Amino acid sequence: MTEGTRATRALLALLAVELVVFAVLGRNFLTVGNGFEVVRASVEVGLLALALTAVIATGGIDLSVGSLLGLCAVVFGWLAREAGLAVPVAAALAVLAGTLGGLLNGWLVTSLRLPPLIVTLGTYSLYRGLAEAATGGVANYTGFPGGFLGLGQGTFLGGIPAQLPLLVVAGAFFWALVHRSVIGRGLEAIGYAPEAARHAGVPVGARLRLVYVLSGTVAGVASLVYVARLGQAKADAGSGFELLAITAVVLGGTSIFGGRASVPGTLLGLFVLALLQNGLRLADQPAELAGILTGMLLLLALALSRERKAS
Amino acid sequence: MRVRSDSLASLLELSAITKAFAGVRALDDVSFELAPGEVHALVGENGAGKSTLIRIVAGALRPDSGTFVVSGQAVEHADPLHARALGIAVIYQQPALFPDLSVAENIALGRESGSPWSRIDPRLRRDEARELLSRLGSTVDPDAPVSGLRMAEQQLVEIARALGARARILVMDEPTAALSEREAGHLLGVVRDLRAAGVGILYVSHRLEEVLALADRYTVLRDGRFVATRTRGEVDKGGLIRLMVGREASLIPPKPDTRPGAPLLELCGLGCAVSGVTDVSLEVRAGEIVGIAGLVGAGRTELARVVFGLTPADSGEIRVAGQAAAIRTPEDARRQGIAYVPEDRRRFGVVGEMSVAANASLGVLRELSRFGLVDRAAEERLATSFVSRLAIKTSSVHAKVATLSGGNQQKVALARGLATKPRVLILDEPTQGIDVGAKAEVHALMAELAAAGLGILVISSDLPEVLGVSDRLVVMRGGRVAGALTRDEATPERVLALAIGHEESARPRATGAP
Amino acid sequence: MTAATGPSRAGRSRELSLLAALAAILVVLGWRAPRFFSTANLADLATSVAPALVAAMGMALVILARHIDISIGSQFAVCGVVMGLVAKAGVPVPLAAGSAILAGASLGAMNGALVAGLGLPSIVVTLATMVAWREGLRWATEGTWVRGLPESFQWLGLGQTPGRLLIVATAAAVFALFAWGLASLRAGRSVYATGSDAEAARLLGLRPRRVVFCVFVAMGALAGLAAVLTTVQFIDVQPNAGVGLELRIIAAVVVGGVAISGGRGSSLGVLLGVLFLAVLGPALVFLGGKAHWDRALQGAIILLAVASEAARRRGAGHD
Repeated sequence: MTEGTRATRALLALLAVELVVFAVLGRNFLTVGNGFEVVRASVEVGLLALALTAVIATGGIDLSVGSLLGLCAVVFGWLAREAGLAVPVAAALAVLAGTLGGLLNGWLVTSLRLPPLIVTLGTYSLYRGLAEAATGGVANYTGFPGGFLGLGQGTFLGGIPAQLPLLVVAGAFFWALVHRSVIGRGLEAIGYAPEAARHAGVPVGARLRLVYVLSGTVAGVASLVYVARLGQAKADAGSGFELLAITAVVLGGTSIFGGRASVPGTLLGLFVLALLQNGLRLADQPAELAGILTGMLLLLALALSRERKAS
Repeated sequence: MRVRSDSLASLLELSAITKAFAGVRALDDVSFELAPGEVHALVGENGAGKSTLIRIVAGALRPDSGTFVVSGQAVEHADPLHARALGIAVIYQQPALFPDLSVAENIALGRESGSPWSRIDPRLRRDEARELLSRLGSTVDPDAPVSGLRMAEQQLVEIARALGARARILVMDEPTAALSEREAGHLLGVVRDLRAAGVGILYVSHRLEEVLALADRYTVLRDGRFVATRTRGEVDKGGLIRLMVGREASLIPPKPDTRPGAPLLELCGLGCAVSGVTDVSLEVRAGEIVGIAGLVGAGRTELARVVFGLTPADSGEIRVAGQAAAIRTPEDARRQGIAYVPEDRRRFGVVGEMSVAANASLGVLRELSRFGLVDRAAEERLATSFVSRLAIKTSSVHAKVATLSGGNQQKVALARGLATKPRVLILDEPTQGIDVGAKAEVHALMAELAAAGLGILVISSDLPEVLGVSDRLVVMRGGRVAGALTRDEATPERVLALAIGHEESARPRATGAP
Repeated sequence: MTAATGPSRAGRSRELSLLAALAAILVVLGWRAPRFFSTANLADLATSVAPALVAAMGMALVILARHIDISIGSQFAVCGVVMGLVAKAGVPVPLAAGSAILAGASLGAMNGALVAGLGLPSIVVTLATMVAWREGLRWATEGTWVRGLPESFQWLGLGQTPGRLLIVATAAAVFALFAWGLASLRAGRSVYATGSDAEAARLLGLRPRRVVFCVFVAMGALAGLAAVLTTVQFIDVQPNAGVGLELRIIAAVVVGGVAISGGRGSSLGVLLGVLFLAVLGPALVFLGGKAHWDRALQGAIILLAVASEAARRRGAGHD
């Protein structure tokens, strides 16, 4: 059995356990309406996790995704509410801010050859800090037009959350990128052996910049969904999303050391986590329990995948 | 206390050692004995079990069965620390030094033992390091970080460490593989001095002339089994090869004479300040094999990297098939029809975790794609054709390259280069660390490719190899071309003379007389 | 305390530039905001530097061993609450302090077991424990402060000035002890060796896995000590202390020249890094800046510090 099938089987088993446990313990857990709620709440983290899969596949990591989401949310809020720009324009600029954030990460990693860990730890602090400084730590932008809010709160075809197609499209895109495309093969090689990839003619620098730029852009898109869903844009938007996204990726069977990746696994891991949060809430459990269990799940997933650093 | 029947007690005695990994016997009933004051060479093809035996001696592995006796005492539950305490020191192919720490600290760490709460004295360490290094003829600064040292210097630091640890058994794994002729000569002198001082040396090397000249005894392993032990004078190179391979194997087949065609690659005054390459001019014509010889550090790999675009040139010109070519990245080089099979195959040549097919296609993915997506059927066809053409021994094209032997991995690396349909092929140490049988196959392949019209540039530190396969030889020294020799003009002495920079060609080869 | 290994020249230059930068800031402050040098402010500064110094030494140990620990903020919070609760239960304050340090060591041992014992990457492990412990603490305390502490709690019952002196002296002594150990004890050198090349360390019998486990335990204990040195300054204990502590400390250590790749760095550098950052923040406030730029500044400093180190190593040809 390959590592991938082992992870998938474990996840499916976990999913089954969750469904049973929460159906018993929770109120209205096993309903279609709740199912839609689970999906709605997980789209933002899902988008981040999909982009993160590509980053982790190269052996890197991006700890700044949650902070960048917050920064983009604040940028959008300010542009749409303070600067009076039309929502589509503000939205486009917010996504652009995400792209620029990703570009900074990518540039520091490739041109200065800095370890992604410390770069994104620095930008994790920097981006959140910029969001806090811009809002003075207090400002909260609200009062967005109904049409925009529909992106995060609306439904279609009798209940399907409006943001679901976005996740589906992103899922398809990243699946094709990581598993079928020429670029994806290059990412895999970079994750396993970056120098060998370079010798083979893979444009390593360009590929790395690409995955970080994608990660940043996706954070920008996710920030729009977040603001639409909550109806507000504050500096703390996206706090803690990086842990959820990384957990979803690792649970899904992508190797934290790079090389082996699984986009379907990430989506499965995302679903497992989303059910966990939702189920605990419906079972009247304290919010903190979700955080504790997520942390433990991450550790369990790592331990069971029996991945060891070579040296 | 066991004592041998003659007067000298063995330093090391391995009897009936068996070790299996996942059901495959890496060593099967192997015995080996090392006496004090001798150099006992261990030879065998790749996969013969040499590195497994070394790891058992080093205490890094425990045998499944058999006895391991050091100075008359049986060793149970060996571990590296215990091995060190018994006076065993191992010098692996990759230096096991701490790059960020100083030379003195590296030497001291190998020697000191004791509770973690014991104090250390930096000044004492420095003095001891200096003394040990001077014994080996090295003037390296004890406070210098190891990361800044050259391979030859690092090896001497490792030996100094072993000396400091009062090692009586020294295991050396391919010690001269990455050294120039001169550095190798110096090292062999050190080994002889150690032998004279009573140290027992287990010497593993593929360089048979070196081994024949240096060692007192030779033990041959084949497929994990003990074949024979011979003493000095009992056997010659051909004899050793026969024992290693089990059949008569030719050395380097003389290259069939071909008429070279138009120049495929011309380097005119090529230079790259960062890598030290200066004013290199040479040409490779279609159907030619041009060998590049020189001491380690002469700039040969650096030159290859400049031509391939890994470290772009900042002066001079590269012309491909007569046209000036701007090569600033490996993709540029590829587009110009240049392929490079790098030196360290495990790190640069192949991606061990990926399949044979994925490795072969890594350089030509765009050609095997449709709308940006990989065409797997086409990739499989490509890989299958290379497996048959290069006789790559693998269970399937989807097997992970890491499961293949060294020689077959090298062929996969070659396939990756050839898949780009190059006009010029640069090979960097193509047969380093692979067994005699595979070596011969690679040489035959090179001749075949040249005959098909490719221009081939071969970098090799193995003089007999580079002399045997090349039509012409270019010798580099200090980043420049020191001289060029035709096939008829090239003798080991002349090549060495150019590489070192002396005109006296009467200098005896370093691996010759003791 | 200053025995840097390896490229002492590069290490020295990093320390010198830090010293110069520190001096520059102090000069500017002396000129534009001399209130900075008032006794009250300097005393405040010293007592806030003390716990940071202790925590930074712990982080330096972890980073020298080529790992990282971003859970120290949560460890700090847990240990502070433990100290408060134990003291409130009537245990003499010094013993309560001991229990806090022990609690920290236990948390560190958990990190260490996962990283050293199971070989899991420290960034992900400590990301998980950071969240698990903080959420666990919040759940257990329900966000309530620990109040009603005995008289002998604040300043250890000694009064503010002697209390402050004790805090600073303790921090200095512990820091000096560890600094000496890093340079002069085999255990300390093993940390450098493990960070430089764990496999080579293993082959030499230096037991890198044990070293890694121990640095995480030490980090936890030192986080506990830092919590003790902080909480005794007040009359009650807040349950959400130490948020963002990990980034502040990592910034200080990285600015101080400890290489993120392990094996390189000096205690003097760590000291200078802590001082530099401790002065920079308040200096900006004194010079008219706003406090909510803190996080952004830390992030920028981390990036600048590692970038400049990388650029310098590139130039020196160590790449």
